Amino acid sequence: MTVRKFRPPNRLANMIKDRGGVLAKDAIAAAEAGVETLREASMAALDEALGEIARRFGKDAAERDSQPYEALYLLASKVIDVSAFVADAGVDKAAMSLCGLADSCAEAKAWRWDAIDVHLNALKLLRAMGAQLPVEQREAMLQGLYRVSHYRPEEG
Amino acid sequence: MTDALLPSTRINLERATVLVLDDNGPSLDILSQVVSGFGVKQLHRAESVMDAQILVRTKTFDLIISDVQMPVTDGIEFIEWLRREGGENNRYVPVILVTGHTRTSQIFKLRDAGSNYVVAKPITPKVLLERVFWVAREERVFVECDSYIGPDRRFKHEGPPPGTDGRRKDDLPAEVGAAQMPNMSDDEISNMMRPAKVQI
Repeated sequence: MTVRKFRPPNRLANMIKDRGGVLAKDAIAAAEAGVETLREASMAALDEALGEIARRFGKDAAERDSQPYEALYLLASKVIDVSAFVADAGVDKAAMSLCGLADSCAEAKAWRWDAIDVHLNALKLLRAMGAQLPVEQREAMLQGLYRVSHYRPEEG
Repeated sequence: MTDALLPSTRINLERATVLVLDDNGPSLDILSQVVSGFGVKQLHRAESVMDAQILVRTKTFDLIISDVQMPVTDGIEFIEWLRREGGENNRYVPVILVTGHTRTSQIFKLRDAGSNYVVAKPITPKVLLERVFWVAREERVFVECDSYIGPDRRFKHEGPPPGTDGRRKDDLPAEVGAAQMPNMSDDEISNMMRPAKVQI
């Protein structure tokens, strides 16, 4: 097998150090201000994804057994996508754990409804008042989710 | 090793042409706002790999930021295609993949896709700018072979695992061998440290 090693030109490397430009702190502030304009739309998207998860995978969903594993995984991924605005509530981490759970269900080809119900309840609570919970309580709740989903946050 | 990005570091992305790819509209909006905030003027958005491939065939990019989880064709397959068939202008462009959760079955695929860096969602401007700065300054060689095209997957060169000879001809053994030359004298060492006038 032929292996070729080389250093291709990196145009970005030349541009980024061009004269002018902005300070990194100002670039970050401008980006944060831009993202802030999307808060309302992002929260609506987050609530829509959470609502669909509850409708299709909640305890009252009539045909949840026949839902594809992939659907739950993608919906939980959508929650993560826009969860920066509620990171202080732990919603992003709970959604990560739910992704891990959906992935393991898909691999085992079997739903673990008790574990999913716990995640859905936790997401509902965290979305409603996660930011107001004492840090230890919120962390204990997330650790509980990780235990039932076998998700290891340090591994991503 | 590249320098860290400091608040006082000056960056200029005004001339950069950037492609952002994400199938989830709200997520693509966030990514686009972040990149625009960094000062990028030429920003192209794609909501599917097919759209991104059309753009890659017609434009030259300086940076690509792509989601991983996408229906039909995902970000991993897109980068693999880019590295092999993206044309000479785009094949070696720095790529940052963004992902919320990595499936167990995709961990190795993600490593072997050929991206320069993987950033966890939800993205924050600070982390993304640090990574953009990093990929602009990194010095890893590009590797091209039958099974992989992309930056060297080894971020650090600390030699092969102990007890092995390594698989590459430039791997040095981890164990330190016998000295090949006599030890330096104290004077020789002092001479190396002695301050000297220099002409500027």
